[in-house]
Amino acid sequence: MFKTRHILLASHDTDGARAAEKTALALCPPGGTLHHLIVVPDFWKGMQGDDWLNNASTRDIFGRYVENQLEDEIRLHVQRLQKLAAKRRIRYRPDMTLGKPTDCLIERAKRTGIDLVVIGSPRPRSKAGLRSRMDTEKLTRALRVPLLIVPRPK
Amino acid sequence: MIYTKKTPWTLIMGVIMVAYAYMVSAGMMEPLIKLLHTGKHAGEMVTLGYWFGGIAVVVGLWQLLATPKQGQADYYISTIGGLMFIMLIAFVVKWGLDPMMGLWGKNAEPALGFNFAKMLNLNYVVMGIIAGIIVVNVFKIPEWAQNGVRLSRLGLKTGVILLGTLYSLAELAQLGKLSVVLIGFFVLGSVGLVLWMGARRNIPNSMGGVLSAGLGVCGVSAAVAAAPVVQAKSTEIAYTIGTILLWGILMMFIFPIVGKAMDMGPIQFGAWAGTGILNSAQVAGAALAFQPDGIETLKVAEIFNITRVLFLPIIVLWLAVWYVKREQTDLKVNLGEVVLGKFPVFVLGFILMFALSSTGVFAPAQHYKGKFFDNSEAKLVKTDKEGKVHSKLLKDEEVATLQAEVGKVQREDQKAAIARLMENKKTMSIDDDTLLRGVANAKILSKDGNAILKKAHGAVYHTAGKIKMFRNLIAWFFTFGLVGLGMQITMASIKQAGGQPLIIGTVVGATKAIGALIVVMMFVHETI
Repeated sequence: MFKTRHILLASHDTDGARAAEKTALALCPPGGTLHHLIVVPDFWKGMQGDDWLNNASTRDIFGRYVENQLEDEIRLHVQRLQKLAAKRRIRYRPDMTLGKPTDCLIERAKRTGIDLVVIGSPRPRSKAGLRSRMDTEKLTRALRVPLLIVPRPK
Repeated sequence: MIYTKKTPWTLIMGVIMVAYAYMVSAGMMEPLIKLLHTGKHAGEMVTLGYWFGGIAVVVGLWQLLATPKQGQADYYISTIGGLMFIMLIAFVVKWGLDPMMGLWGKNAEPALGFNFAKMLNLNYVVMGIIAGIIVVNVFKIPEWAQNGVRLSRLGLKTGVILLGTLYSLAELAQLGKLSVVLIGFFVLGSVGLVLWMGARRNIPNSMGGVLSAGLGVCGVSAAVAAAPVVQAKSTEIAYTIGTILLWGILMMFIFPIVGKAMDMGPIQFGAWAGTGILNSAQVAGAALAFQPDGIETLKVAEIFNITRVLFLPIIVLWLAVWYVKREQTDLKVNLGEVVLGKFPVFVLGFILMFALSSTGVFAPAQHYKGKFFDNSEAKLVKTDKEGKVHSKLLKDEEVATLQAEVGKVQREDQKAAIARLMENKKTMSIDDDTLLRGVANAKILSKDGNAILKKAHGAVYHTAGKIKMFRNLIAWFFTFGLVGLGMQITMASIKQAGGQPLIIGTVVGATKAIGALIVVMMFVHETI
């Protein structure tokens, strides 16, 4: 049986990710560490698209507004997981980064001694949500530790 | 922070540009120029090649050899690499790909049965935007070019400002009235339709607010301006912008194809594109795609665009008040702040250039469509270096044709104008010209008779040198701006299109495009 004292969980507050969170918390023993990776997809960098009419101040206000929105959403997400981890006496290490989810997860998994990576299963195509998916094939080829893909609740 | 990147690319691009300009001036590119029929661009190939290439060589050397210091100068110089990157792509597209595509289109016509390049409007504007999109999505914009690519916005704004030099008071007044009516109806209609549909489909007010601004006013720009005001969630912003970009790009390609299929003229197409396309940049792209070798369509489309942009602060204010009422939030709406903050300052530049142009600084006052009236002998009769006389006065046989047909004209004032034309062999005044154009447009005379009237009109209208220069500059500013804007359209953001915004966006976008087409075809005529 492999040790699961250091679990890397990648989640972004969707149904599948919440199922992954539950599983990660259940697998992590008290005293273990739950590394929580939250990736802000890099498509946000191009989200001003072809806006050329606004002045710099309006663009700045928009940029700051989006940043604050994302931060608020992440803060609530982290607070919720932090509480759940504390209840189970699990050390909780949140880590936020900007980029492509798959690349960020591979990079993060390499950095510290992770025993297991947990993610939720991809969202069905018909289900609404941001189009920023994990490339599971790339992930399985690149990871040197076990990967657990938790199915979405029915 | 030091913005300048140590890169050899600016220097390399400069050397390429200078070398190309030299090869053109030395005649080494003659076979290619002949093959592609780009001789008319040879002058600008040399001038622009030397100018931009020279600047790129100097800045490129500085970037490689000097040690940049923190400050404004460092930032401004750091933009040169990106600027040259866009210009190099524009050169390749305009002088190479565009004529080559034209050639391929012609060659493939016998096999395909149609000219694909013409049908798909694969001209330098469309291909420039596509090149930009390919660069950002396939190759990524190099770090050293990123500051310069952002300058493309400035290019488009400068292009619009310079457009102010090309309108006459009559044109601006007529187009202005038309655009206020059409844009007013369709902007307010689209915003209202989105809010109504949103309420029926139970989408949050914040999403309805940001989506209605984007679909109703001017695409991504309006969504960016409205999102903080209606407190849109991040996913709502992503959905909305994705939907708008997807629609904008599709429409930019579809509109010119439909416009040509329906045999629309510059005024009709400009009015339709300016009203029916969501994104302002795509309006410019579609107008230039429809008429790449002239800017009459762009002129009309931009008046509609500017009118729409002027609606932006009003709509944002409306949405802010609407949102506060609906959500009962603590958000305070400051009228002055919203209107001033969202007011497009560059429109003032357009008005200033128009005002300057009206004083006769660039061309004699009362110029029409960039041309001015002058029927003096000095303008109509010229002698070339070899002593050969070129006259634009009517010939005796042309006068005879008119004499034979003048009986068809019923209105006395038009008859009198034709009589003066026949007597003097030239149009005698602007009023006469207006009357004669009325006869030609009404097609009262035969084909030959109409051709003579049109020739008489063309003979007394002259393009001022400065106006010609502005036309070229405007075309280049828009080309630069659109290639650069293409580099800011990422597939990752377009991919976010989906959910309710896509459904509502499709319904409202299609309604707006089709509705505008019907109204334009019914009420907008090719003469103003």
